[in-house]
Amino acid sequence: MSTAVTPHLLEDTPLPPSAGGIYRRQNLLTALVTGVGLAFVGWLVSHAVLQGSHWGTDMVVTVTMACWVVGFNLGIGTFNAPIRWLAGHDQSDADLLYAAGVGQGARRYWKFCTDHKVVGTQYLVLVLILFFAGGGIAMMIRTQLITPHSSFMSPQTYNTLVTVHGTAMIVATIIMVTGPFTNFIMPIMIGAKDMAFPRLNAASFWVVVSAVPCLLAVFFLGGVNAGWTTYAPLSNQDPVAMDTFALTILTFVTSVTLAGVNIIVTMVTMRVKGMTPGRLPIFAWGSVIGSALGLYAMPAFFLAMVYMIVDRTTGSSFYVAAQGGTGWLYENVFWIMGHPEVYVILIPPVAAMLEVASTFARKPLFGYFVVLGAFVAIVGLSIMVWAHHMFTTGFAPDLNGPFMLTTELISIPTGLLFLCIVGTLWKGSIWTRLPMYFVYLFLWNFIIGGVTGIYLSDVPADEAFHNGMFVTAHFHYTLLGGAMIAAVAALCYWFPKVTGRMLNERIGKTAFWIIAVSFQVTYLGMFWEGLQGMPRRVAYYDPIFEHANQMATVGAYFLMLGFLVLLYDIIHSWRNGAQAPANPWRAKSLEWKVPTPVPLENFLVEPVVTADPYGYGEPSQPSQPAPAPAPAPALASAGTDEGPAPGGGEVR
Amino acid sequence: MADVMERTEQQPELDPGKPPRASGLILTLVAGLVVVVVLGILFWWQGYKSPSGTEVAQPIGTATVNGVTMPHVALSFQTYPDASGSVNGVPIHPGGNPSWPAYGMTNEFQVPAHALVTVTVQQYDSGGSLNNPWFATVRGTVGGVMTVDGNVVSSVDPDHVGHTFTVRGTPGTDPAFFLSVPLPAVAGTNQSDNGPHHTIVFSFVSGDAGVYAWNCEYPCGTMVAGFGGTMGAYGYMSGFIHVV
Amino acid sequence: MSSDVIDEVPPAAPAEPKPFFSRSSGKILVIWLVMTAIGVVISLVAPHHLMPSMISEQGNTAIKTVVLFSVLAAPVAALVYAIATYSLLAWRRGSQETPPEDGPPLRGNTPLTIVWLIVTSFLCIVLLVWGLAELSAEAASHPGALQVDVTGQQWVWTYSYPGTGVESRTLVLPLGRPVQFNVTSEDVTHGFWSMALGVQVDANPNVVTTLQATPNKLGNFTIRCSQVCGIYHAFMYSPGEVVTTAQFAAWLRSQGASATAAVRVARAGS
Repeated sequence: MSTAVTPHLLEDTPLPPSAGGIYRRQNLLTALVTGVGLAFVGWLVSHAVLQGSHWGTDMVVTVTMACWVVGFNLGIGTFNAPIRWLAGHDQSDADLLYAAGVGQGARRYWKFCTDHKVVGTQYLVLVLILFFAGGGIAMMIRTQLITPHSSFMSPQTYNTLVTVHGTAMIVATIIMVTGPFTNFIMPIMIGAKDMAFPRLNAASFWVVVSAVPCLLAVFFLGGVNAGWTTYAPLSNQDPVAMDTFALTILTFVTSVTLAGVNIIVTMVTMRVKGMTPGRLPIFAWGSVIGSALGLYAMPAFFLAMVYMIVDRTTGSSFYVAAQGGTGWLYENVFWIMGHPEVYVILIPPVAAMLEVASTFARKPLFGYFVVLGAFVAIVGLSIMVWAHHMFTTGFAPDLNGPFMLTTELISIPTGLLFLCIVGTLWKGSIWTRLPMYFVYLFLWNFIIGGVTGIYLSDVPADEAFHNGMFVTAHFHYTLLGGAMIAAVAALCYWFPKVTGRMLNERIGKTAFWIIAVSFQVTYLGMFWEGLQGMPRRVAYYDPIFEHANQMATVGAYFLMLGFLVLLYDIIHSWRNGAQAPANPWRAKSLEWKVPTPVPLENFLVEPVVTADPYGYGEPSQPSQPAPAPAPAPALASAGTDEGPAPGGGEVR
Repeated sequence: MADVMERTEQQPELDPGKPPRASGLILTLVAGLVVVVVLGILFWWQGYKSPSGTEVAQPIGTATVNGVTMPHVALSFQTYPDASGSVNGVPIHPGGNPSWPAYGMTNEFQVPAHALVTVTVQQYDSGGSLNNPWFATVRGTVGGVMTVDGNVVSSVDPDHVGHTFTVRGTPGTDPAFFLSVPLPAVAGTNQSDNGPHHTIVFSFVSGDAGVYAWNCEYPCGTMVAGFGGTMGAYGYMSGFIHVV
Repeated sequence: MSSDVIDEVPPAAPAEPKPFFSRSSGKILVIWLVMTAIGVVISLVAPHHLMPSMISEQGNTAIKTVVLFSVLAAPVAALVYAIATYSLLAWRRGSQETPPEDGPPLRGNTPLTIVWLIVTSFLCIVLLVWGLAELSAEAASHPGALQVDVTGQQWVWTYSYPGTGVESRTLVLPLGRPVQFNVTSEDVTHGFWSMALGVQVDANPNVVTTLQATPNKLGNFTIRCSQVCGIYHAFMYSPGEVVTTAQFAAWLRSQGASATAAVRVARAGS
């Protein structure tokens, strides 16, 4: 045993009492105060300046909500570093350590904290809140639809609920894996100490938090009738709630862009020695590819909303036909975002799920480069298919054929993905722990979702089904039954690393079965509605659809029940679950080689990677590295890469 | 880094945690249910209720239409230039946007099924051109006519319409039923909630029992095509008829 | 590093490389055949039962497409389901605390991938050819088609028959004659949709979109608005009816067309 110096853990660094500067006083509460305060000032000023003008109210609401977003971010500390840099008084090392959460304990979760693990955990909580809020709204919607002419709510309330439900869920599903898990796990997975831009990481989180009240304000400002797709010109006609809706989107896209840039740069520049692109875990690739697609697509949504705000506040006519504009402009720009966006939602969870499949079949990922190629092909094709959402708009009938072609082509790389998933299961040693349950449910659901998408890609069939409940059932099968279930698999998989506790399996499996069965009841009922010809976004329907709706509503209630059981499992296990070892699944990627709880800088010794994390069953590579040789003497400083390699392979 | 290995190897046994308790699970489910019910009450309360309750048609005898004898009831409502005023101390549209035109005194009505309903409307508002002149014709009334200030007409000038009363069944409810009556505009510039008005009277035979939706087809709102603002908010220029 | 990262028992490497396909393939084949059969039966039965009865050629095309695509999808879905099911039957190792021994290190199988790629591409081409054939049949123009101008407005559909002066909120069509719908909107975007008639196209303000249908059965149908258009979107529907040519002419007259106009429009092109 050598007498090496006890390594100095960065999180134990004592900080001077002035470290962090204004950060010391900033937290969620101060952000709420400054946000509301600046919004009030913005409202006062804009109201005084614009009182009486024809478009004034829209401008007032837009300015007020924009002031809220800026004020909130001022209050939480998003702008601290740029302001100090501009003032020539850049943050010191002690400030940076403070910003990383040193010495603050649990309080750092309520503050602007640059530690990617804290940001990941914050995202996880936000995603859970968004899902249950959106789910609660779904319960309202299904309750209205339990009878054909329910007097439960007015048509305007119903349309607004549908809009907010859709938007909350879209926001939640876009960030559900890249927010919590790419942030928390990916840097460790590639051997890095943090993301490439830690402050940007924290900023992306708090910016999306500031978008949430903008969305909630929709309820108080008259509601939005136009669904989450907010087609013009109906959304030009909606009350001022549409302006705060547009602000929500502008803010959200900003956050996603910041996060996407961060993820890509991190993967490109922060990989540790030996982590060649071919040795990257597929989850890292999935996160990067999904984020890259998001960088292409989401700005289109931003642009569509900018035009909308300009139309509504100044009376311009991007979208107003009577003055020379066209709703088709909105539809095209929106769907240029909208189709790639579903792959932004889908690819990171699927990539995470592939990690789970590999670990719990105790086999390498089947067809690593095939999966990569499939991801790239899907992403590339997804850019060229957007008008399949517009087959029935009459926009450009001659383009229907080409778009049908490109859309049906996507089934080919998707099919290859399925090949790789079942290939990973093939002759595996299936370890039926909780995360693996969700992999199987994904397979079942995504086949149904994907196949029904193919019906919709055929133009004449789309004429029968477009904008009916068939479409709603299709995308719930793919996004909820596919992407979200894969995200739940990822949650169950990485829960021990993120929280330090094991998720209770018995409750989890109970939740699984309730979710799995009630999901089918709910959405097969919805397919039934769609086959019969029920339109979307209707609060009242023909009694011929009644049985199908009752089936969907009862299924939905049980689905919520299942998710509540899962929520209980998460909360209980997080607080009182069995303590987790560092590598409960005996997996091979780098995140499992660091202790739980993960130190601030992730690695006590920088790893050297010599193989990919899929070495299961390979006789020349034992599943664990050989015991480390005695470390080189007299090299007491941490961080050299000569020490034992806790990396994804073994030291040869 | 042997000390690191040593330190972590000396980690105490992993804490097995506390077992889950049924009380915790029940609490979660109850909390979820409470949230959903509270939200439900909020949306129910702010949503569907008409500003001032339901007006029930008054029975006034029996009538014979096309050889069929049926009950005869009477209904009346008004259309106002703005919802700010009140009539006999009763506000036109309580809690509403005072600058918006509104139907009053309520937007929900109840009539018996297969009955002759005679409706009297006082129209106080100005108007203009319909988006589609089709709605300037009286449709679905007995004889296809109505009386405006005592004169029997079957249509009005499509460029001088104040509002319309257009009714159809909710989906699946008596699809053949359709009623659309144009309410001519008050000329000049001195329209007000107590000012000059037209009196329109028409009769129609109500359909099967069920819920029917009515709305105004004259673009008296704001924004695109004049169908935003008051037109796009439930309760001012839209409502329901319960046929029982 | 922490001790609990190191296995107590190193996993046993497989003794000799097993063939990729083996007896398990036979059992999977059986499961696959059973599941395919179930899927095909559902595909042949469910669409006809659940979708409305169609009254036009276009509507019939939609049902045929749903049936064909379902039948083609059944074996594909069944393959994935069969392998997944078999994996749980034959390769399942339980849910104990520590992981089971590793499986064989199958990192890929190039011939299999190529075969899979070829088969899925072939299926895709079949779908595409079918779709393109349908599209061109749909786009074929019928010079003598009955013209119907469809106007969507918040929240009523009206239908005009050029040449007769008739505008109505119910859509009446003569049997057996191609109809061309010229669809527009007075305000926001609406969706002119009837599944039984096999038509859907948006009604956009200031533009006219067109599509065609040929009713081939007498009966009633419903047009519903499919593109959310405000608070009363759910109430924007019209009854429709397919009638004989004589009944159609009579109906036009009842709506105010002159006798000559009614007869001319009803009979032209037939």
